[in-house]
Amino acid sequence: MSRQGIFNASMLAALLTLAGCASGPGGSIYVPAGGSSRAPEPPQTVDDESKARVWRKSEQTEAPEPEQPPERNNKPSYREAGDELSPAALGLVREADTLLQRGDVQGAIVRLERAQRIAPRSAEVYFKLSEAYVAGSQLGPAEQFTLKGLSLAGSDTRLQRAGWLLLADIRRARGNVAGANQAEERASAL
Amino acid sequence: MLCRLRYNPPMKKSRSSSKPNRKSKSKNRRGGRRSRFWKLFLRVSAVCLVLLACWMVYLDAVVTSRFEGRRFEVPSRVYARPLELYDGAGVSSGALERELALSGYRKGDGVKPGSYRRNGGHFIISTRGFRFPDGDEPRRRLSLNIYGDRVQDFSVTAGDEAAIVRLEPARIGGIYPAHKEDRILVQLKEVPALLPATLMAVEDRKFYDHFGIAPLSIGRAMLANMRAGQIVQGGSTLTQQLVKNFFLTRDQTLLRKGNEALMSILLELHYEKDDILETYLNEVYLGQAGTRSINGFGLASQFYFGESLKDLDVHQIALLVGMVKGPSYYNPRRHPERATKRRNLVISEMEDAGLVDPSKAARARGLPLGVSAKPSYSENRYPAYIDLVRRHLARDYKEEDLRSEGLRIFTTLNPAIQYAAEYAVTDTLPRLARGETAKALEATLVVTAKDTGEVLALVGGKDPQFAGFNRALDANRPIGSLIKPFTYLTALEQPDRYTLMTPVLDKSFTLEFDDGRRWQPKNYDGEERGEVPLHRALSRSYNLPAVRVGLDVGVPAVRETLRAFGVVSPISEYPSMLLGSVAMSPVTVAQIYQGLATSGFNTPLRTIREVTDAGGEALSRYSLEVDQVADPAAVHLLQYAMQETMQEGTGRSAYYTVPKELTLAGKTGTTDEGRDSWFAGFSGDLLAVAWVGRDDNGPTALTGATGALPVWSRFMAQVPQHGFSPVVPDGVSYHWVNPEKQALTDEYCDNARLLPFISGSEPTQRVSCSGTLERKIRGWFEGLFQ
Repeated sequence: MSRQGIFNASMLAALLTLAGCASGPGGSIYVPAGGSSRAPEPPQTVDDESKARVWRKSEQTEAPEPEQPPERNNKPSYREAGDELSPAALGLVREADTLLQRGDVQGAIVRLERAQRIAPRSAEVYFKLSEAYVAGSQLGPAEQFTLKGLSLAGSDTRLQRAGWLLLADIRRARGNVAGANQAEERASAL
Repeated sequence: MLCRLRYNPPMKKSRSSSKPNRKSKSKNRRGGRRSRFWKLFLRVSAVCLVLLACWMVYLDAVVTSRFEGRRFEVPSRVYARPLELYDGAGVSSGALERELALSGYRKGDGVKPGSYRRNGGHFIISTRGFRFPDGDEPRRRLSLNIYGDRVQDFSVTAGDEAAIVRLEPARIGGIYPAHKEDRILVQLKEVPALLPATLMAVEDRKFYDHFGIAPLSIGRAMLANMRAGQIVQGGSTLTQQLVKNFFLTRDQTLLRKGNEALMSILLELHYEKDDILETYLNEVYLGQAGTRSINGFGLASQFYFGESLKDLDVHQIALLVGMVKGPSYYNPRRHPERATKRRNLVISEMEDAGLVDPSKAARARGLPLGVSAKPSYSENRYPAYIDLVRRHLARDYKEEDLRSEGLRIFTTLNPAIQYAAEYAVTDTLPRLARGETAKALEATLVVTAKDTGEVLALVGGKDPQFAGFNRALDANRPIGSLIKPFTYLTALEQPDRYTLMTPVLDKSFTLEFDDGRRWQPKNYDGEERGEVPLHRALSRSYNLPAVRVGLDVGVPAVRETLRAFGVVSPISEYPSMLLGSVAMSPVTVAQIYQGLATSGFNTPLRTIREVTDAGGEALSRYSLEVDQVADPAAVHLLQYAMQETMQEGTGRSAYYTVPKELTLAGKTGTTDEGRDSWFAGFSGDLLAVAWVGRDDNGPTALTGATGALPVWSRFMAQVPQHGFSPVVPDGVSYHWVNPEKQALTDEYCDNARLLPFISGSEPTQRVSCSGTLERKIRGWFEGLFQ
């Protein structure tokens, strides 16, 4: 696939992903409670050497482990999709777009890395980085950023499809036809 | 200087020749003596002149080579990461205020650049603007509220509109030339005209007229001093002062004075007045900060006022010029009264010279000194971090260039995170033990941004200010159970053989090597539990199942996983490596855990974003890199078990300190007799690795959970951040299962656990529990209210 093709696919990805997703980053932020004195003291130990050599019950503190852990409260935390781009990150992505159009790949990457620091769990920002690296003819990093974006696409089929198509284009441009076909199959299976 | 040679006539020879014709001979003798004397005198003078000429040639070479070559060795400046302000940015009011102070902001009206106003959670900040490698951040006035440790209602009230603004980065250190001179170079054309004018009014009124030395000005200075009743002016010209600072020692000898005069004349012969003046402005000594000397007005302005030279007012310029006479004696921080008196004297001189009108002068005299409370940065505040930065720089830059070329180094240090990390270490460590052990205990903490690999904070020991042994980088210690996630990951990458539910055997065994040696691993508590599901074996950190799984997948495969995640040092081939006999530094542990925290993407740790030359031109960028080294699906399963470690397993005491809402994942590590206590874990935003132990590798009573974990959780509890909640990757699905029966089950059943499976590896059989209707209803309600 030609460079233009890759560019088109990535622009498609961008259009798909960036339209109207200017809401705040997902997940609530943890706010530390008050001053430092509120936290309970960490467990204390003694420096008695004879005690140091005895077998401990576990690597945990000496408090007994609950026999039946309240597992219903211990549900693992996971989610089906990454964050959406915040307005600040989106602003930087748009700046990067403008720079890319002017051919300033390095400038675009700098903006996108700023956006990535603000929205590190957003698939879009990695797809955009991939696009910038494609424009800079660095297909190796481009493929890795696409994979990273895909790892955050979760159940969002729109994002997944965009990611797999982008990956197929990049792999084809790198001469990895089998990999490209595989990525295309993944996209069409969605 | 060499003309002090004396001529002693050879007396003996003349006396022997005086006898025969006394009168005429005596006349002849006198005439002969005179002519001989003059001959000798001429010869000696000629020799003196030649010597002087040689000396002048030598001095000329010294003057021109120093002046035309690299005139100043400018240290490299190391900056923290700039704080980004935008709606939704996570920062507490306290952290913002600390950040502003570090960047040299002053509490004030919030209108003057470099000042801010705070009213509860409402901030008005007037930025000074900064030249970043990727472009200028202009001056702006910002308005924002901090609520729930987040920025809200962010707006730009003056200056260019922007949704996101970077504050000037705090300067956190420097890489200094051997003579420890520090300066910010300024050009004459960018210096406010009042500064050189005042300098000349006070130090050298005829600067533009003399030829390097000004005998008349010495007289004038004496008169002025007599009139003032104290020394207000010096006799030396600016050129002489520059020569004195630039080329000569501080000895007050006649020889040195002579050299000073000669060199001043030579300097003036060769160079323009403006060139000399500009050099003077950059050279003059204006204070001391520890072992570092403050040279030049550019840096002095930052050092005393936290402001750029171009923003100084009359009274500030007067103070700096006044300090030229005695930077230590008139130090405005130590001797404010003396400094005020001197400043006001200079303001009067300015008034006399017509540089300011009387009303302005009177107003300036009435103003306080206006120096910042303390330098906006202190030298070597973060020695461990700067050490890591220097090692990264050493890959691409020569030490001499770092010391003299005035490079600007933009690092990833986050001052707020560093503050929290230092506090966690210094506050927790004394509580972990008593007596001699307490004294011997050391700790390190490495904090990185989970998804960028940027090193945000580094604590190298219990005294974070101590610039000595950097344990975070150089203490290579066995990592104990921190290795287990890599063993289990190697197994989980074979979903047809291993799932989180797979029973693994917690039963002792003996390995016998070819050479007859035997190895019999044991559990930490010495107990054996028979079959346990894999997720439980990891979250409880049982040794026997870990070794069995490791031997099953093969030590070479586990080594391969470790290599892929970033271990570059040799890894033991012995099975004891499965219990963490392999030694690593805390920074290396942070590197390999980065891949676990980011779903299998290796992200090289970085301390530097960019290096520019003194003029702001980019020299090198260190970009974000990601490299997929493991199947995200397998890593997701592992992350489940590492979350379980925190909720039910060896890491659960973290929640004594951290509220349950902050979901975390991690792993404890302990080596024999508590010699090393490790904890490595992550939230949604941060990855942190803590180590506690003794430098002499002596035993402690600590485990990973009682030593490193309290430090780690103390740190995590202080920082606003997102909980860990990984996105379910493609090809992973969650199922309610009964791990004991290896079967799918219903949510409301006893022993039901929601586990992730790589598609196709989930159990096929289903067990229904003997759940009553009552239990079912309870299950529904629990579901509703969770």
